Amino acid sequence: MPRLSFPHAVQALLLVIAVLLPLFVGPYWTHVGAVAWYYALLAASWALLAGYAGQFSFAHMAFAALGGYSSALFVSKFGLPLPLASVCAILLAMGMGALVAALVLRLSGPYLALFTLAISEIFRLVLVAEDEVTRGMLGLEVPGFFPGSSDRPYYYLGLALVVLSLLGMNLLLSTRVGLFLRAIREDEGAANTSGIDTTRYKILVFIVTSGIAALAGTYYGHFIGILTPNIAILPEMGLVIAMAVIGGIESLPGAVSGAVVVYLLSESLRSYGEWRFVLLGLVLILVQRFAQNGLFPFIERLGRKRLAPQAKLAIGKTMGNGHAG
Amino acid sequence: MPADQAFVSVGGLAKYFGGIHAVRDLSFGLARSEIVGLIGPNGSGKTTTINMLTGVLKPDGGTIAVEGVEMARAPAHHFARSGVARTFQVPRLFRRMTVMENLMVPALSDPTEKRQAAEARARGVLAFLKLGHMADEYARALSGGQQKLLELGRALMLKPRLLLLDEPFAGVHPRLLEQIIDHIKSLNRDGHTIVVVDHNLEAIQSVVSRTIVMTRGRKIADGAVAEVLQDPEVVRAYTGARAKH
Repeated sequence: MPRLSFPHAVQALLLVIAVLLPLFVGPYWTHVGAVAWYYALLAASWALLAGYAGQFSFAHMAFAALGGYSSALFVSKFGLPLPLASVCAILLAMGMGALVAALVLRLSGPYLALFTLAISEIFRLVLVAEDEVTRGMLGLEVPGFFPGSSDRPYYYLGLALVVLSLLGMNLLLSTRVGLFLRAIREDEGAANTSGIDTTRYKILVFIVTSGIAALAGTYYGHFIGILTPNIAILPEMGLVIAMAVIGGIESLPGAVSGAVVVYLLSESLRSYGEWRFVLLGLVLILVQRFAQNGLFPFIERLGRKRLAPQAKLAIGKTMGNGHAG
Repeated sequence: MPADQAFVSVGGLAKYFGGIHAVRDLSFGLARSEIVGLIGPNGSGKTTTINMLTGVLKPDGGTIAVEGVEMARAPAHHFARSGVARTFQVPRLFRRMTVMENLMVPALSDPTEKRQAAEARARGVLAFLKLGHMADEYARALSGGQQKLLELGRALMLKPRLLLLDEPFAGVHPRLLEQIIDHIKSLNRDGHTIVVVDHNLEAIQSVVSRTIVMTRGRKIADGAVAEVLQDPEVVRAYTGARAKH
């Protein structure tokens, strides 16, 4: 019988818990969970962009905002049906992702970060300034996906989107593209001289992650029912980065776990006011100090260590066979 | 291909950085299966030349033809896919990837290469380089010499027609130096055309029969190693301290 590996067992267990959770908690925590999926989509897609491909973009929240606002405006201004409006919004964000990627092709590290931060701020300020279209800081009303006031359908929709996005991103990473993205992260010049068309793959990863960020923004807008330019403020970007780093920037399930844990923690500690952010800052510092790859890979490693005696036996057998052969 | 046509033909190559002429009017040819040294003092334009021959830098003038195909304006990945492979002065490995993954990147950059076939080829290259036992180690865990070998292996995974080695002997333990020399000789015997850039003249002399000498971006000598090293201009520019008068 095939045995489940430790990381897969943990992921399966977390999925079961996520599916059953709304049956055991009240509407408030179901709502919190549904918002957590929004952050999970953002953290996982940012982990793919920054953790795997090494593209430290700060424009991720701008793509989420672009998705949310365009989907809402496609419905209200052009009368598109809601699902079609969402798809068009995501496609628009993917196109913009390609454009941003083309603009930042020659940039890396702090230059890329600052350039994308500037793009994000410009987009946010356009949302504020164009209040005739976006209603500025008053907020744009967005129609809901589902009738009624229950958050449970949104919770399950969000969960489904997270699972599907993870499967899609994992599928991409399991092909040679995943290998090329990691090579580009490690040394773009060396990847280029190894035959990789780095331009093509950098644009590809921007398109994919911009699309998922827009998906998150679309989901969030139609769920919450109102969008303000604050969706794209720098602290929101910082929060998504912290979620990805705490969970594991080079692990997609890690980034999802980081988003859920950080968001649930910040909601649990709401009564402590601003002090909860001090606590989250401390968690970030401790993770960076003691589990640099993030909590999820750290827990995975601990789990493997617990299984070490069996693993050693297996290795011994393999080596024995190797020598015999 | 006609016998008189060079396998690689470089004509009037030039590169300027601001007002500095890093390489000027550089012309030479390489015959198929030839192994050539490219030497010169620091700042003579050797690495700039290698960078242009691999598409890392675009020349400001001149031509680079491989088997008659002009490539001077082609991007680096196009050079690599055409079988022009290189190593760097300081190894530029994918440090947080395993040794095997480092070799799989160039192999799989060819869309027609299947993963299984690439893995088998990579194991062969690792065996040739005596790195077979390191396949699953992270590249950053390798010693300096082993990193040089792995980078050579990565270049070999491109099935190179032309191999450009930038300072393969620099900072290498004497025992490993012999190993690298043996590998280069063996690759040349297998028909690879090779250009070796290095400061270690003894090592260069042991592997190449012909050498090109550059200084201040210009070619000042091209010929058999023993003759070139006696050339007064070369002695003045580069080997003065070593020349026997």
